[in-house]
Amino acid sequence: MGVLDYLNSLGIDCSSSGEITLPDGTPALLLVNPTKVECGIAEQGEDYLILVHTHQGESKLSIDVMPHASLRILQVILADAECRMEVRQQVGSRCEMISVVVAGGKVDYQTDMNGSFSSNVLRAAYVVGKEENARVNVRINHNVADCRSNSLVKGVAGGHATGEFEGMVYVAPDAQRTDAVQTSRNIEIGCDAHIKAQPQLEIYADDVKCSHGATVGQLDNEAVLYMRQRGLSLEQAKRLQIEGFISDIVYQSKEFGEVLAQELTSKLELL
Amino acid sequence: MLSVKNLHASVGDKEILRGINLEVRAGEVHAIMGPNGSGKSTFASVLAGNEKFTVTEGEVTFMGKNLLEYSIEDRARMGLFQGFQYPVEIPGVTMANFMKIAVNEQRKFRGEEPLTAGEFLRMMREKSAVVELDTKLTNRAVNEGFSGGEKKKNEIFQMAMLEPKLAVLDETDSGLDIDALRIVATGVTKLHTAENATIVITHYQRLLDYIVPDYVHVLYKGRIIHSGDKTLALKLEKEGYDWLINNLEE
Amino acid sequence: MAEKEILESLEGEYKYGFTTDIETETIARGLNEEVIRLISQKKEEPEWMLERRLQAFRHWQQMPLPKWAHLDIPEIDFQDIIYYAAPKQTKKLGSMDEVDPELKRTFDKLGIPLEEQMALAGVAVDAVMDSVSVKTTFRETLAEKGIIFCSISEAIREYPELVKKYLGSVVPYTDNFYAALNAAVFSDGSFCYIPKGVRCPMELSTYFRINAEGTGQFERTLLVADEGAYVSYLEGCTAPRRDENQLHAAVVEIIVERDAEVKYSTVQNWYPGDKEGKGGIYNFVTKRGLCRENARLSWTQVETGSAITWKYPSCVLLGDNSVGEFYSVAMTNNYQQADTGTKMIHIGRNTRSRIVSKGISAGKSQNAYRGLVRVAKAAENARNYSQCDSLLIGDKCGAHTFPVMDSKNPTAVIEHEATTSKISEEQLMYCRQRGLSTEDAVGLIVNGYAREVLAKLPMEFAVEAQKLLAINLEGSVG
Repeated sequence: MGVLDYLNSLGIDCSSSGEITLPDGTPALLLVNPTKVECGIAEQGEDYLILVHTHQGESKLSIDVMPHASLRILQVILADAECRMEVRQQVGSRCEMISVVVAGGKVDYQTDMNGSFSSNVLRAAYVVGKEENARVNVRINHNVADCRSNSLVKGVAGGHATGEFEGMVYVAPDAQRTDAVQTSRNIEIGCDAHIKAQPQLEIYADDVKCSHGATVGQLDNEAVLYMRQRGLSLEQAKRLQIEGFISDIVYQSKEFGEVLAQELTSKLELL
Repeated sequence: MLSVKNLHASVGDKEILRGINLEVRAGEVHAIMGPNGSGKSTFASVLAGNEKFTVTEGEVTFMGKNLLEYSIEDRARMGLFQGFQYPVEIPGVTMANFMKIAVNEQRKFRGEEPLTAGEFLRMMREKSAVVELDTKLTNRAVNEGFSGGEKKKNEIFQMAMLEPKLAVLDETDSGLDIDALRIVATGVTKLHTAENATIVITHYQRLLDYIVPDYVHVLYKGRIIHSGDKTLALKLEKEGYDWLINNLEE
Repeated sequence: MAEKEILESLEGEYKYGFTTDIETETIARGLNEEVIRLISQKKEEPEWMLERRLQAFRHWQQMPLPKWAHLDIPEIDFQDIIYYAAPKQTKKLGSMDEVDPELKRTFDKLGIPLEEQMALAGVAVDAVMDSVSVKTTFRETLAEKGIIFCSISEAIREYPELVKKYLGSVVPYTDNFYAALNAAVFSDGSFCYIPKGVRCPMELSTYFRINAEGTGQFERTLLVADEGAYVSYLEGCTAPRRDENQLHAAVVEIIVERDAEVKYSTVQNWYPGDKEGKGGIYNFVTKRGLCRENARLSWTQVETGSAITWKYPSCVLLGDNSVGEFYSVAMTNNYQQADTGTKMIHIGRNTRSRIVSKGISAGKSQNAYRGLVRVAKAAENARNYSQCDSLLIGDKCGAHTFPVMDSKNPTAVIEHEATTSKISEEQLMYCRQRGLSTEDAVGLIVNGYAREVLAKLPMEFAVEAQKLLAINLEGSVG
């Protein structure tokens, strides 16, 4: 069951945007193939945006998160879409975004931490195969002091696909006590797959904790062997490992973890 | 159950096993001891079917079949379990999911129906009690962030789940404190029946206080140089291996 | 308060800032084909070399200045530079006694004794001042083993076949703006050839010194380790203190043939400019090595000097099982800017590379690591590990990390990690409580931070580098 099927099963009409209520009573705003959206999250407010891209096209979102507001975003890209998102966070605000890309496409995500004591968490995963090309750009600007950000992007490329990650953590002068982590983990499973990762740091303040890490690799053969000793076939062991690899991204979402995992799994079957 | 004849195996150009002979019958517990680098872990890996090692000579029969013809996963499904010295961490893969696939693959191999979710969960609960494994751990990723003791308990838990005919436990006691050792060893003993067999590979006699072996073998330079009953382990503990090795070299 | 103290303790003096008063022969400022012909003529070069220079010059004229680095480079007037300057010598040198005593004193003052009996620890030196090689020591000893170690000008005259074969083979003149400029106007530098199976019995070293005013230095180094050979090579550089900026655009090419190993170490201490950022050397260097099967190339650099550094010693891992390494400490203080790193190009199977970069920024300086790890489609089982750390001292400086990982082979494993840190108050307090001055504490902590890289340097250089790090930091902690 994919994300669309799941929403349909809840009686939610996925052909158009609108306000919806999730089974646990959480209100959310569903945006289907949005093109241009500008919105603000009111001071102290709490909002949940669900973005679903089912066909090609460009979309641009611009969101202001007012002081002490809290924003959650779930983005599911099922078609070769180009999505740009700009989030500006004010003092004490929180933003948590989960992005799942199971098609080619481009995700451009920029957050400006404009108010102190705000935090930003990003979890993104992409799985591409055939001739697809997925690009994930993440730029976090720490413009003021005392903010935290943590981004983790995981990618799997099979077939002739290309996966690209470009990340940047920018720490402005005086943005002291910034705590920023950015990580990119990638697995190539196709002989003709291509992975490119560019994690970058640009730091102009000294009292900061910033780190980034990136890896490009393959499946862990030791783990595959271990699973086979317990009776799993080679294919099962590989699949399970890839599912495990992306599980910490999808299960970041309480409501959609299972569905997102299935979305990615069914994509894996096509690789 | 298991019959090993003149087994030679190497990694690259280096021969590690140089003619091992061993007979294991149902209901028996064998202990394999020996100094570092004598080939104990290699023996366990070769039995399990680790492709890193090449068998250059000899035969291994398991349950009447030529074991060496089977892949690592088929050997597992036939009922051969290897308890790893260093259990691998598999990030993101939950124990529950992993075991469910493993158990059902074994059932499929035997021509049985897969377990329902309810049956499987009941089984998980029962078996985790055998090694006093915190059921919370079964919701975590395989071995990820487990302490040394938890990893070893987890190995025995998986052994309980898969109910092997033959378990080869490679240094299951290493890195365990006395409580964990007791729990792990008691678990192994509880799982022992007249129909299955266990090979315990260990450095120390202390494990054998709990898991009482019928036979003790000393492996040295890729060969079993001496076999005896459980008193041999005690003698080795007191006197070391030198008397055996010296004998050999004379 | 501690911060101020630390910053103060970093304000060291550049101790190589003196000028040698020696008669220098220079040519007029500016660059055109005539100037290139003149340089070639002064070097008594064969016609083919002049042709190569002109070809490079014509190409250079079509090239735009590279702008991608994280550097603020003031406009350079390439017509306002003197492209050739040489200490005047009346005749060719026969023995040590014929070296101008003033020149000898200069190198003595720099700690580079040219006297053979004084060249301790068996280091053979090629000393280059401005545009010419002044003296190469130990040549005869090396010649017994078939090792050629001389100035590149001499090599062009004496070993044209080797030079023709290798010069420009790793860094072609089309490579980049400064490489093209260098190919057109390079004046001197070192040439080294280690024959098949020979293990060079001593460290080889080139010492570069800019002395004349208004000049640029464009040296060219070519190092060839033939099959199974081994050599460890050291390079050092200094320049006088001047208010104007001087350009240094060097090219180093290394060919590491099958089973050979080359270690190339640099301690770069060009004049960095004063506290206000006035003066200093612009250091734009292209360094690259080519590794054949089972070859190993290891770059170690300690970069403390220059107003601007633009430098990426790289390895092309062409042969199967070849290994590339890059160990770097780059320290910037005051208004210095550095954009340095490496490229590891994996082409052969089972190729491995390792990158350890330690950046230290203080004052108002900017320090960037820039790296590329590329795994070509054929590079089965390629492995790379990169560790890039930055240490910030004070809140007016910048530390940046720009790595690129590009893999076209699914068996490749590339890992990159980067961290940023500062010298903590706690560390300082701890050291001071045990009786260390702030200055010593900072020196100690910085040296500890850079230890992994310093340990890769040959002993004599490691000591020198440690002192340099401490001196360059005098007056600066945060």
